[in-house]
Amino acid sequence: MMHCTMDDLLALQAGEASGWARSHADACATCRGELDALYQRIAQLKALPTRRPSRDRWPAVREAVVAERRRRPNGRNTSSPATAAAVAGLLVFRPFGTRQADAAELARVKQESATLEQQLGRVDPDARVMSGRAAALAAALEDRIAVIDGELARLGPLEAPPGPEELVKLWQQRVDLMQQLVGVHVTRAAYVGL
Amino acid sequence: MTISLAVPDILVARAKSGDLEALEALYRAFETPVYNVALRMLRSPEDAEDVMQETFLEVVRSIKQYRAEGHLWGWIRQIAASKALMRIRRNQLRATEELHEEAAAGPGGVGVPARVDLERAFERLSETSRAVVWLHDVEGYTHEEIAERMGKTVSFSKSQLARAHARLRGMLDDEGAAP
Repeated sequence: MMHCTMDDLLALQAGEASGWARSHADACATCRGELDALYQRIAQLKALPTRRPSRDRWPAVREAVVAERRRRPNGRNTSSPATAAAVAGLLVFRPFGTRQADAAELARVKQESATLEQQLGRVDPDARVMSGRAAALAAALEDRIAVIDGELARLGPLEAPPGPEELVKLWQQRVDLMQQLVGVHVTRAAYVGL
Repeated sequence: MTISLAVPDILVARAKSGDLEALEALYRAFETPVYNVALRMLRSPEDAEDVMQETFLEVVRSIKQYRAEGHLWGWIRQIAASKALMRIRRNQLRATEELHEEAAAGPGGVGVPARVDLERAFERLSETSRAVVWLHDVEGYTHEEIAERMGKTVSFSKSQLARAHARLRGMLDDEGAAP
């Protein structure tokens, strides 16, 4: 007699099983027992005891944060004086009623981001061997870009609140991080003579 | 986990302004749940602590972008899961993960006890399997979400989950059969 596979049991647990698996599990005591065991395992996993870290890592986090603030006393994450000036201009000197200007600026930073993506694609970072330090830096930058991408996805299209100026700011941050990421990979490529 | 994960809005607001005391209070509130997510996904407590540290560094850097629309824990957990998955990818580069699993799970492996409970059986799965099981069965991620975060397909996530449960069942059956 053919019994449910683990795929079938997981599909039953998720409520996505085939008609055959559902009717078989209804009729087969062995498979019902397997399904019960699966439920129990999942319940036991959820109830595993809470473990506590052996060391307090806050001093290390704090030290890193303070060091970063010392390096960037204005708190901005910019990669060049020109970009910094552009961002400052955007954020500080933007007059009222400049929705159209914001839209143009948004298109510009989006294009800049796309160009950097293409540049990164040409470098083909996945095909290169990096030092641990460079890989960690690249990973950290990719993470921060992912956070911004998540935020951009949440904010949605240009017309959605809170308005294009917020999107411009996020896209500009993304461009800054992309520039740093490309820099990490290009520097490495130049170093190894590729 | 019975730890309270609710934090006052004023604390979040202070943290967003860069107040180090408020950021430390967030760290104290979430260090254990973050550590547990990382520990269950990764093989070593040391890696889990590293991920916890990386997670909070990211939280400090990015908290201004947190919009307070979802639960703060959900936001922090996503960062922790992402960091843990990144660590798994790096560990896989050492190319020993599957060998490690096979060696640990094989009959009569050196230092492997004949009897294991669920926690120990779970610890003997590969990091990838652990991550999929933990994110899906405990944290409630869908296969689509797991696939997206791991850069894999939905089929990969589903097959990893089935394979992991089959191994768990096998190890626990062995336990029951042991003298």
